[in-house]
Amino acid sequence: MIPGKLALPFLLLPGVGFLVVFFGTPLVLAVFSSFGIGVIGTNASGLTLAHYTELVTTRAYRDGLWFSIYLAVVSTLVSLAISMPLAVALRGEFPGKRLFQMLYKMPLVVPTVVAAFFVMLFLDRGGMVSRVLLPWGIEVPRMVRDPWAIGVITAMTWKAAPFMTLIIAGAVASIPDDLRHAARTLGASPATVFLRVDVPLALPGITAATLLTFIGSLGAFAIPNLLGPIYPQPLAIHMYTNAFEQNKWGLVAAMGTILSLTACLVLIVYYRATRSMRDAFGGEVR
Amino acid sequence: MANINVTGLAKAFGSVMAVDDFNLSVENGEFVALLGPSGCGKTTVMRLIAGIAEPGRGQIVIGGRDMANLPPERRNVGLVFQSYALFPHMTVAGNVGFGLKMRGVRGSEADKRVADALALVDLGGYGMRYPRQLSGGQQQRVALARALAFQPDVLLLDEPLSNLDAKLRQGLREELRALLRRLGITSIYVTHDQEEAIALADRIVVMNAGRIVEIGAPEALYRTPRTRFAAEFLGHSNLIALTVDGGGLRLPWGALFVAPADARMLCVRPEELLLAADPNGPGRVVESTFLGSDTIHRVEIAGCHLKVRQSGRSAEPLAAGTTVSIRVPADAHLLAA
Repeated sequence: MIPGKLALPFLLLPGVGFLVVFFGTPLVLAVFSSFGIGVIGTNASGLTLAHYTELVTTRAYRDGLWFSIYLAVVSTLVSLAISMPLAVALRGEFPGKRLFQMLYKMPLVVPTVVAAFFVMLFLDRGGMVSRVLLPWGIEVPRMVRDPWAIGVITAMTWKAAPFMTLIIAGAVASIPDDLRHAARTLGASPATVFLRVDVPLALPGITAATLLTFIGSLGAFAIPNLLGPIYPQPLAIHMYTNAFEQNKWGLVAAMGTILSLTACLVLIVYYRATRSMRDAFGGEVR
Repeated sequence: MANINVTGLAKAFGSVMAVDDFNLSVENGEFVALLGPSGCGKTTVMRLIAGIAEPGRGQIVIGGRDMANLPPERRNVGLVFQSYALFPHMTVAGNVGFGLKMRGVRGSEADKRVADALALVDLGGYGMRYPRQLSGGQQQRVALARALAFQPDVLLLDEPLSNLDAKLRQGLREELRALLRRLGITSIYVTHDQEEAIALADRIVVMNAGRIVEIGAPEALYRTPRTRFAAEFLGHSNLIALTVDGGGLRLPWGALFVAPADARMLCVRPEELLLAADPNGPGRVVESTFLGSDTIHRVEIAGCHLKVRQSGRSAEPLAAGTTVSIRVPADAHLLAA
């Protein structure tokens, strides 16, 4: 037997140990090497802020960071705008619900690169959409490799919306119908019920879905690479080229650190903003 | 405040008629209880009146306004849910003030009416708490305050006390009765608890399998039910069949009973029967249960099982097997067969 005091650390060891060894260590090493200390890559130079200076002073990288954030924010917001009403709609009964429930999850099993090619086939010049609309004389604006990254956002949304719907629908389904009925009898229209009952009560699910999607989108590589504009390019692509074409691992580590910090920052801001709402969920309510 | 007129109401779930041919008029300020076993359609009736379910047929008129195609938010009906359905993300004041907010009542006027509603249910000072910080009984009272705060035309209560323990239930029942009498609001109260219905209501609507079985004042329904279902559902009834024998009516154990010639069934409450130990009596005590003020005897007599409740000095438990005679009061209630 393991003595009581040691039992808990012992039981936690496999899980926590795994995280420390395979997740924590690379993260710490990456942060170190972003400051010029360490073992990743070959050009460790001793303590320096040069990598960060380069990142901040090079316009392409600065724009790249903003572009990464832009892509993540917009695709997350668009996905949320689609999945929130969808999740609420899925609570009700309608003909073909089972079929729809099966179909809407399909993008989840389609690999990201394949999704990017779908979007390219549909939205690119000479793609299906422009061919269908051409006979009516409607010219489709540039949507692939365009400066607003419409194609990128479409593909990212196509992947993220079903995932968000799945999580939010679960949260919405756990709200008792009586609460909605109560709100209605008290004078709330269906739209008010959605805003004042469904959204706040599904907030834990919405939070989880939003953050997971945002953080995933922040590091998006394949979709912007295939569908994104030539300039700017998101930081993830700069990381790839700097690592494998330029061998500038210190700079790559700095970019990775900045992206991770951005994600953390968003997390903190989000949790701060929704704290008062979450406080209300501390306990079981009958 | 308003009266309620329901005519020909029907609602089916698939092939099952949850409510069928339901007709009811509730007077201004009247308190009506819908009583019946679970699944009898009483909650469905309430949901149809509140507008959170769509009727298949029929008309609902509240205070002269036809409710057809009127969504729940425009019916001005207060509904207290069995589950209370308090908004967990809002404070007690937020919950109680929700109906006012939806009606555009804001600021100090809203604050005052929320405070009044909370004072009404003895929860003054609880406004800033969250529902989860309250006990079941307090949550129930918040639900009531919420349903009353916006001054609805009628109040609907769906088994509001059934989630509470017995002692609390009784206390709240009396409070509720006093409060609703004082407010004089037209109310429909759904319950499966006959004692609750008898204690609270001006009139009881007994329902079974989606239909109204009988409507009456509590005392009349208890003492002189017309239907066997109501007789058996409201408290315990001894149903004693009468047989015609040589120009007279006889009880199962042969005693003569004077009644109109077409009488076939007696409905006698346990407390109306008189029992006496009698060595030559036709009955036999199966079991006696002493309850303090009362004793319940189960008696077998000529193939008939009767429940007899004796109170006061005659409430002596008898040994099983004691032979007894039973006296049925001459004015015992006759049930239409």
